[in-house]
This record gives sequence, C-alpha cells and structure tokens, in this order.
Amino acid sequence: MGESPFPLIAVTSAVAGLVAGFVMHRSDFCVTAMFRDLFLVRDFFLLRMLVLLVVVSMLAFELGRAGGLLGPYPFPLLGPGSLATLIGGVLFGIGMVLAGGCVVGTLYKLGAGSVVSAVAFLGLLAGSALYAEWHPWWSAFAQATRFGPAITLPQAFDIAPALLILPLAALGAVYLYRSQRRGLLTRPGYAAGHIPPWQTALTLSAVGFVSWLLIGMPLGITTSYAKLGATVESLFWPGHVAGLAYFQAQGLNYTPPFAAGPVSGGAGPQLDAIAAIQYPLIVGIILGAALSALLVKEWRLHWRIPPRHYASALLGGLLLGAAARMVPGCNIWHLWGGVPILAVQSLLFLLGILPGAWLGSRLLVRYVVR
Amino acid sequence: MESVTSIHLDISGQICPSCLLLTLKELNQHAAAVRAGQTEIVVTTDDRQATATIPDAVGKMGYAAEVTRADAGYRIRVCAKR
Repeated sequence: MGESPFPLIAVTSAVAGLVAGFVMHRSDFCVTAMFRDLFLVRDFFLLRMLVLLVVVSMLAFELGRAGGLLGPYPFPLLGPGSLATLIGGVLFGIGMVLAGGCVVGTLYKLGAGSVVSAVAFLGLLAGSALYAEWHPWWSAFAQATRFGPAITLPQAFDIAPALLILPLAALGAVYLYRSQRRGLLTRPGYAAGHIPPWQTALTLSAVGFVSWLLIGMPLGITTSYAKLGATVESLFWPGHVAGLAYFQAQGLNYTPPFAAGPVSGGAGPQLDAIAAIQYPLIVGIILGAALSALLVKEWRLHWRIPPRHYASALLGGLLLGAAARMVPGCNIWHLWGGVPILAVQSLLFLLGILPGAWLGSRLLVRYVVR
Repeated sequence: MESVTSIHLDISGQICPSCLLLTLKELNQHAAAVRAGQTEIVVTTDDRQATATIPDAVGKMGYAAEVTRADAGYRIRVCAKR
C-alpha cells in the first residue's frame, strides 16, 4: 500500500456523479420540488420519494455499520447541532425555492441546458465565497448556541444506533407499504426516457452507500462551491482570500477506508482532499444530466424568459450558497446522508427548510411567477 | 362541428414550477369554457416535471391532459374530459 488514496476517491465520485446526474434528470428528482410543491399545490408525491430514499438508506447504512462495512461512523464533517444550523436551514429553504433548485438540483438542471440554473450556479459560487467574510462571527454564534456535544441522536441518548434507527425505519416502511397499496408511489410519466422516481430513489440510496463504502462519507458538495468561489476570487484579490480564516481552516481530517494514512482539506482554493472528493462529483452530475438530455434530444438553451426569473435565480443562488455554508451542508448531504443515521445537525436542517420552503414559495408566487 | 378556442402558452426555460403554476392560473381563468369543451389550453415547455405534474393536477380537478413531443420539448394539451 502507501499509494495515494485520491485516484480511487476521484473515480468513485465521478462515477457517482454521472449516475446521479443521469437518473435525477430522467426522473426530475428535485429535492426543492419535494418541499415546494407540498406548500404550493399540496402535492405529496415527490416527498414520498424522499421518504423512500431515507428509509432504504437508514436500513442500508445501519446494516453496513453493524457489518463493519461503513466507516468512519458517524462520517466526517458532521458537527454538533446548534441554533445556527436551524437558522441556516430556514435561509437554505428560501434560497432553494427562489433559485429553482438546491445545490445539487441546480447542477443537474444546468447540465441539461437550463440557463436560469446556470445563473443560480453563479449566485451559489458567489454566496458560498462571500460567507467567508462573516464566518468568524457565525462560527462563534454556532459555538454559543450548541445544544450538546452529540453528533447523532443515538449518541445523545447514549443507546445503540439500531435501537432508534430500526424502529423508525420500520415505521417508515409501514407508511411506504400502505402508500404503495393505494398506488401513491407511482404516477404516469410522459417524458421521453422517464425513469419512475422510486427507481431513482433506490439508485441514489445505493450511490450514497457506495460513496460511504469507498470514500468514507455519503454524497456532499457544498464545501467545494466555496472552494471554487475562492479560486475565482483569488484571481482578483489573492491577498484578501489568503487573509480569511475560513479559507485557511482544514475542516476535513480523516483516514479514508482504503487509505494508508489521514488526508485533509478545507474551503481554500488549494487542491486537497475536499477537491478530490467533491470536484469530480460536481462535474459528474453536470455531465450525467447533459448526457441524459442529449440522448432524449432535449438539450436546448432557452434564455428568453422574464428578467425577474434571472433576478430570482441570482438572489436565490446567493442566499442558498451562503446558507449552505452557515448550516453547513445541503439537502443531499443532510437528507440523504445525515438524516438516515439520525445526525442532529441534519434533523435541525430538515426542521429549518420546512418553514424556509414555505416562505420561499410565498415569495415566488408573489414576485416571480405571475 | 363546434369550434374550439386554443389558448397557447410558451413556458420554456422559466424557473420551476412556472409551467404548472401558469397553466393552473390560465385554467382557473377559463374554467367554465374549458369544462364546456369550448376552450383548450396548449402549453409548450421544456419542463419534464410538468409532463407529470400537470396531468396529475388537472386530472384531480376533473380535466383531461394529453402530452406529446414537440421540438426539443413537450406540448401539453389541457381540455374537458370526454
């Protein structure tokens, strides 16, 4: 051994991204829509798909942990819960609805040729990098409003994870079984090459499992938005970027499953473990969605839309990017990765995005879509 | 033969879920005429999600929807149930 762990990490991430981008485009598996449509049109269908993803991941992650396949447990980069995460979640919820997609949804839409999502992407980069300006203050606030040292609920109650996770998963399974009996897990899809969302939910759960197995954590990309933003910013103001504490910090320090020694990384512009894990995932999702759209001949740029849509995407993207750093994390990281292991931060994030998405929906119908 | 008025909407490239919301708004404004079979709403869009959400939503409201391929996107026709 003693070889670099980065080739395995980068290749796994790239393949995970390609698969995720492809199936998300085919099913339009948009996490923003799951919460937004709940408030806008009382449509619970997509949210059921999220429940399916979470319940299957709960079982898979718990079996993987108990069987010694998945480590480290809990996975790195999760912190203790604080009021900061809850507030960040509310802002994230507003931002994702105004941007027309979350941190990952924006990527697959951008890959499929959405100009408005490309604008949201630029807002995301800028918002993520801007966060560095008030990071010291926000980080102190998070520290001061911490609920306790526990990373997961089972840790907080000091019980074995299975005792909490398995009953909850069973409850979820009963709900899904009853929904399935009533025909609520499928609905006709008329789009070319449509993949039923339940199949995408299962695929994404499997992708998350493989990511944790080979890389040591489920899918996550938000830190590299700040990293990419910092890279651009340092072309213009290198001195300023070098002086910001947030871009100096090395938040990630862990030993990947198939590595001989520890690796580290942070949000600064340098190429490190964060870049190896997350950059290939971002590129993979964009390319996977682009490939999917090209294959069904739907890759087409539509840019003649009302200017207020661009304004909404840009402002929503800025808010979303900044909020993703304040949480820290995103829908994919927390809902597909953290919630299945009952991470406190992830549950607080979920609590926050509910009122956030409601507020965002009100703003959207009032000022943007009319 | 009775003539049917078609209201055309082009909602390509707009922020989600413009397609669903604007279609429902138009439908509500012309509800009586659409229900009576005098008017239909024809939406051109590139929003894949709308091809599932619009038929689902208008179906629950008692209308019919028909999705066909158009150019690089879709055409969704909302009309009275036969």
